[in-house]
Amino acid sequence: MKNNRLSLSNITMPAFVSSVYFFLYLPIFILVLFSFNDARFVYKWSGFTLNWYYELFRSTEVWLALQNSLIIATSSSILSLIMGCLLVWGLFRRSKFLLPLFYITVMIPDVVVSVGLLSFFTLLYVPLGITTLIAGHTLLGLGFVVPIMYSCFNELDYRLIEASLDLNASRWQTFFKVVLPLLKPSLIAAGLLVFIISLDDFLIAFFCASSDSQTLSLYIFSMVRLGLSPLINALSVFLLSVSCLFVLLFSSLRDRKEFF
Amino acid sequence: MKEFKQRLSNSFFFSIVPGMLWQILFLCVPLVFILGLSFFDVTDKVVDFTLNYYRLVTNQFHLLVILRSLWVSCLVATICSFIAYPVAYFIAFKVNKRWQGIGLFLLVLPFWINFLLQVYAWCFILERNGVINSILLKIGLISEPLYLMNNMVAVIVVMIQAYLPFMILPIYSGMARFSKRLIEASYDLGASSTYTFWHITLPLTISGIKTGFILILVMTFGEFTIPTLMGGGKKLFVGTLISEYFFTSRSMSQGSAFVCVSGIVLFVAILIINKIFSQISGVVDHEE
Repeated sequence: MKNNRLSLSNITMPAFVSSVYFFLYLPIFILVLFSFNDARFVYKWSGFTLNWYYELFRSTEVWLALQNSLIIATSSSILSLIMGCLLVWGLFRRSKFLLPLFYITVMIPDVVVSVGLLSFFTLLYVPLGITTLIAGHTLLGLGFVVPIMYSCFNELDYRLIEASLDLNASRWQTFFKVVLPLLKPSLIAAGLLVFIISLDDFLIAFFCASSDSQTLSLYIFSMVRLGLSPLINALSVFLLSVSCLFVLLFSSLRDRKEFF
Repeated sequence: MKEFKQRLSNSFFFSIVPGMLWQILFLCVPLVFILGLSFFDVTDKVVDFTLNYYRLVTNQFHLLVILRSLWVSCLVATICSFIAYPVAYFIAFKVNKRWQGIGLFLLVLPFWINFLLQVYAWCFILERNGVINSILLKIGLISEPLYLMNNMVAVIVVMIQAYLPFMILPIYSGMARFSKRLIEASYDLGASSTYTFWHITLPLTISGIKTGFILILVMTFGEFTIPTLMGGGKKLFVGTLISEYFFTSRSMSQGSAFVCVSGIVLFVAILIINKIFSQISGVVDHEE
């Protein structure tokens, strides 16, 4: 009796779980498949082609958007990393009461953050562009960097900092020579996370970008609105490969951190 | 010891300044701006206190939009919790460490792919000439393509696909912390597997469902992309209506009032859900 039920759940559970994974990956699979499809506007399979990849690499608009996105993502991840790290170091072992301020970003819907930024910039006559996007994405990044860094600092062996101060290192020496090297893997991981969040962001870009600071997300959105195009599929496969590379980097860093 | 602390705190106090300044300038000040815009009329260089904007956004139409968003968010979160719980359970308890790593890795991977691209892929699947219709036509189940896009079902399905990992991961992390010995102890004391599940496993892991539920509620409540691309723009949601106010009609004050009203509704909804979950875990706990 019991054996019977056990064997049933041994089949149904894995079947259910794999179908959930199939559901999660269905869109990605379809995207990749149709990027090689030799037809425009047609959803039927009509032969293998690399034509869309050729078109993709010829289009200047995509690369301009990608360039903008990369500039914004790089600067916002560096900015939020530096500010977040300094902030957590300043608050470390002192007070916790300022930290909830940084959880607000995650707690309120993204639309509210973007709309708030838009009205802020408009009322103060700040011209919209790459700078305003960097400001917004750095804000998003801080919402992730500060909690992550806070838990990393708490996991640090405090005796090492005490030892450093005991041996008469100055406060900055302790920060740069002891704390930062210890936190390097998590710093890089947090930076990558912010980078990817910035690349992925659509709402802040939608509200706070001007026409000459189009990001990749905005480009994809405008293309999708115009209708389906295999060019986007080719682009998505390209981005997919880049993301996979990043994920591998990210997870290898995480593993290294556990190893230390 | 005390001296070290003193030295640390004195010197590094100023290091919190840039981060705090950034957060206050670009988050707190804009939120105050939104609140201010909703209460004050700033059209003619004269600032006048008015409740007029609130009067404009508390009619039946606006409340319907808010309720629709809330309903869809709660539905998505509920369906996600029912799908996610077995998956998290399976990853946490039924597979070895190596498969656990692979399973979690595959859950996180879609986060790294541009969100819009995933939504776009659904167009391929659900379109009139899309994948599902082609397959059904080929099998002969239907003689004419179905309208699968631009309706609420499409919006809900895409939301579930996009936000499911946000439910699985919190439940999993709750389960990972939960000791397997408790289950063994329960079996040891003669409890059946059903009894153990309802009285040991579920009460101890329900906080993960609560976290995921609130996370998904907050994210889907203001969702803009999925209703715009999948809903055909016929039915307005909170996110789409807010962007309409700020972007198309440029009536910021009315939009701000709407943001405040829907924010209050969301806050109350979270409080109620919190209460419901503590009620549920209380009931499950004290059933004896």
